[in-house]
Amino acid sequence: MQPNWVDILPLILLAGGGFLVFCLGGFWKARPQGLLFAVALATAIAAGAAAILLKPDQTHFLKMVEISGYGRFFTFLLTLITTLSLLFSYQYVKLRGIGGDEFYGLLLLSGLGMILVASALHWLVFFLGLETLSLSLYVLIAIRKPQSASNEAGLKYFMMGAVASAFLTFGIAMVYAATGKMDILQSLSPNIQAVSSPAMLLGLSLILIGIGFKISMVPFHLWTPDVYQGAPAPVTAFLATGSKVALFSALLRFAFYYARNSVWNDYVFVFWILAFLTMAVGNITALAQVRVKRLLAYSSIAQMGYLLMTLLAVREGGVLAIMFYLSVYALMDLGAFGTLATLSEEDEDLDSLEDFRGLAYVHPWRSALLTVCLVSLAGLPPTAGFIGKFILFRAVLQSHFVVLAALGIVTVIVSIYFYFKIIVALFIQPAERKPVTPDLDLFARVAGIAILVLILWLGLLPSALLSSITRILPLSLQLG
Amino acid sequence: MINNFPWLTTIIFLPLAGSFLALFFARRPMFCRWTSLWVSLADLFLVAWLFTSNLQRHSWSTGKWLLAEDHPWIESLGIRYSLGLDGISLMLIFLTTFLTVLCILVSWKEINAKVGTFHFFLLFLETSIMGVFLATDLFLFYLFWEIQIIPMFFLIGIWGHEERVYATVKFILFTLAGSLFMLIALTGLYLIHGAKTSLYTFSLYQLIQTPLGFSTELWLYGAFLLAFAIKIPIFPVHTWLPDAHTQAPTAGSVILAGLLLKTGAYALLRFGFPLFPVAARFSVPLLLALGLIGLFYAAWIALAQKDLKRLVAYSSVGHMGIVVIGIAVWNTMTLSGATLQMINHGLTTSALFILVGMLDERVHTREIANFGGFWKKMPGFSAFFLFFAMASLGLPGLNNFVGEFLVLVGTIKTWPLVTWFGFAGLVLTVIYILTVVQKTVFEETRNEKFREQPLADITVREVLILAPLALAVLFIGLHPQPVLDLFEGPVGVLIGFLK
Repeated sequence: MQPNWVDILPLILLAGGGFLVFCLGGFWKARPQGLLFAVALATAIAAGAAAILLKPDQTHFLKMVEISGYGRFFTFLLTLITTLSLLFSYQYVKLRGIGGDEFYGLLLLSGLGMILVASALHWLVFFLGLETLSLSLYVLIAIRKPQSASNEAGLKYFMMGAVASAFLTFGIAMVYAATGKMDILQSLSPNIQAVSSPAMLLGLSLILIGIGFKISMVPFHLWTPDVYQGAPAPVTAFLATGSKVALFSALLRFAFYYARNSVWNDYVFVFWILAFLTMAVGNITALAQVRVKRLLAYSSIAQMGYLLMTLLAVREGGVLAIMFYLSVYALMDLGAFGTLATLSEEDEDLDSLEDFRGLAYVHPWRSALLTVCLVSLAGLPPTAGFIGKFILFRAVLQSHFVVLAALGIVTVIVSIYFYFKIIVALFIQPAERKPVTPDLDLFARVAGIAILVLILWLGLLPSALLSSITRILPLSLQLG
Repeated sequence: MINNFPWLTTIIFLPLAGSFLALFFARRPMFCRWTSLWVSLADLFLVAWLFTSNLQRHSWSTGKWLLAEDHPWIESLGIRYSLGLDGISLMLIFLTTFLTVLCILVSWKEINAKVGTFHFFLLFLETSIMGVFLATDLFLFYLFWEIQIIPMFFLIGIWGHEERVYATVKFILFTLAGSLFMLIALTGLYLIHGAKTSLYTFSLYQLIQTPLGFSTELWLYGAFLLAFAIKIPIFPVHTWLPDAHTQAPTAGSVILAGLLLKTGAYALLRFGFPLFPVAARFSVPLLLALGLIGLFYAAWIALAQKDLKRLVAYSSVGHMGIVVIGIAVWNTMTLSGATLQMINHGLTTSALFILVGMLDERVHTREIANFGGFWKKMPGFSAFFLFFAMASLGLPGLNNFVGEFLVLVGTIKTWPLVTWFGFAGLVLTVIYILTVVQKTVFEETRNEKFREQPLADITVREVLILAPLALAVLFIGLHPQPVLDLFEGPVGVLIGFLK
């Protein structure tokens, strides 16, 4: 079969755009920030449009990359995340004199890696995507060179990432040794004799650990608060959403394939415990935080916990629920961290909870956006977070994990306290000092409005997204 | 013709439109006040017009209602946008629109900071409360039920008194803790219904017919009851209420006591009992006991209160105890009585909160010890205070008497002991209310500082707020039949669910 290169146009665009940004930077003595940003933004938008508009005839590209509904859904979502992160970072980068070429170029390449991870059909492509994503992020996190926090965060993420990669590589090797296949679908399919052999299970556990690091699943979550706090806020926004969405979509794919085996039932309790721990540790630890970025980091751990809980329901309705919630999660966290980016002071991001006091009366729009995102993260109507959480719990209850759902709800109640702690600071407590924050630039404004509209729209009229997910689901995961 | 226009949607969302108007013109406080007043008045007239238009009961796909709307909303999940109006909800949305108008008038002078935002939240709250009273799809109901917490959080938090942060966070944690378990139960019920009939729906009318095993029903009902009990509030889970009431601005207290507590009682009546009849019957002794305890406990605690606003707040717990008893006994007489008592409590307690607010504006304290001698200093104010205090303690001829009497007399056939204890509890209510009237209105204050302070009597605006309330109190007290007639049909339907 002739490979049709147009089918993977989003990937080609992102790779080309990334290199173009790198090269353009070299032609000017002072980096043309505006031009570089424009090229990067155009690339991301074009890739997103290509993901939506192109309807490939085939479901896969050379059995390496999936290009049917599931893959395209996440391609679009990840390019959306990349685009919104770019919009939030323009002013941040410009004001702080961070080299535009490396920042924008690496962001695009990282986005490329994420898409590869989300749509990989081959273990090597998965690994390749993961490394592309991670390597770019290591640099992005540490991009504020004079700042020790930024450097520390980058180093920490690198160490953890390296360990995770090691686990993953070894896991993939074990799976290959057990099954003799590098094709993900085939290696996890029920036709393989070795599906429950010790080597296979060891391999899968190692892969789970590797992914667990990246999605900050408890007990592999310890790096998260430090890295989120140290990284520049727009990078945190990108890291918290893009990398997690990509790896979770991969995890969901693996779980979906593997759940067709009866062995899955014997290992459900592992996910039960991991999900419970992730929800509980994330939400309870967040209670004690006095720094907003750390608080949001723990909140994002807890959000991963809700998703892990739904992974148990992967056989009934869980896939739809997770796909919907991942989109909602991306919007909420992008909004929250993105707002932090626009509120950042010259040398340090606004972080201490005390600095947020009374901010609603200085920056009403940004506070409103942050509030909507927090309310959505807490899962209250009329936001998308509410519908998303409802669908998650519906799927979990439908699979009869009633106790886990009840425990999950208890952790949600705990979480209300710390989300509202920020809202109380914003609206109720009087300001102690006035942070010097820049005005909102056009691009961040566009991103903010887009996120606000999307969160409320998905909260009140989720039908469109739900039915489009339902439409693409049957085709895409059942290949092979 | 009346049936084709979406009147209910208009009534629900008109205040929301007004709220955004207020938010966008936040820089012009007077404009915000007037716009909000006109919008809320328009809504009040719309509801009043529904009253006078002699609606007839119709069969709709969602049950029998005076007016109903039903549209698909999130089809893949079986969620519909369906609203239904019957006599009970009509009376309650009437109360809602009425009290909202009063709240805007009350806040005219009291709220001077962030006026636009204040009216935004106030009208937003009105929309969500009316949604609770009209929704007949459980998901839609839940959505409105949860949304109402958010504006209330801000109303207490931003415009409240000294301890507002503590009060508002406590409020939100309590109410959300209850309602999130309800969400789980709601989803469980929906899935069980779907599994049994392969029709996934949140329609109240459909879900009532779900066959449930006893233990499942008990669990689900327990979760619903917890949410409603916190909102009503029933005795051991009432502790958020005194704090929230005391710290809220006057308008916040009025809405909280007059309307938010009603959503809990209304939900128990409309959803809790009909959805889980067997479990509900099982819980009757518990509810009766808790209702009585609430009555006695509130009276006992109220006697010891130093803060007048807190005292009125505790009196709410007692009054709602009567409502809970009326719902638990579940016969025609007690249900009418309980529903009427919901309206009554909305009127009298709101009036008392408004009066306390007026005192606070003048004396700048809520301590009972600092009050006294108002009969001489402010005769107009004292007359109103005495009137509403009498209504609150259940003086015959005023509104509360009718409701309490119906509930307790209706109870005597099945639970005579409850009736006797109930009357004993009402005597205690009389004691603490008379004590506080004596201390504030008639006796001189012991605090020297406040004794010589000259006080202005109530103004025209304040009379305009209190007079309609007083008229309503008198009307229901002397001639409750028109209101009771409204309840007759829906109460009959509700009784039918538990046969």
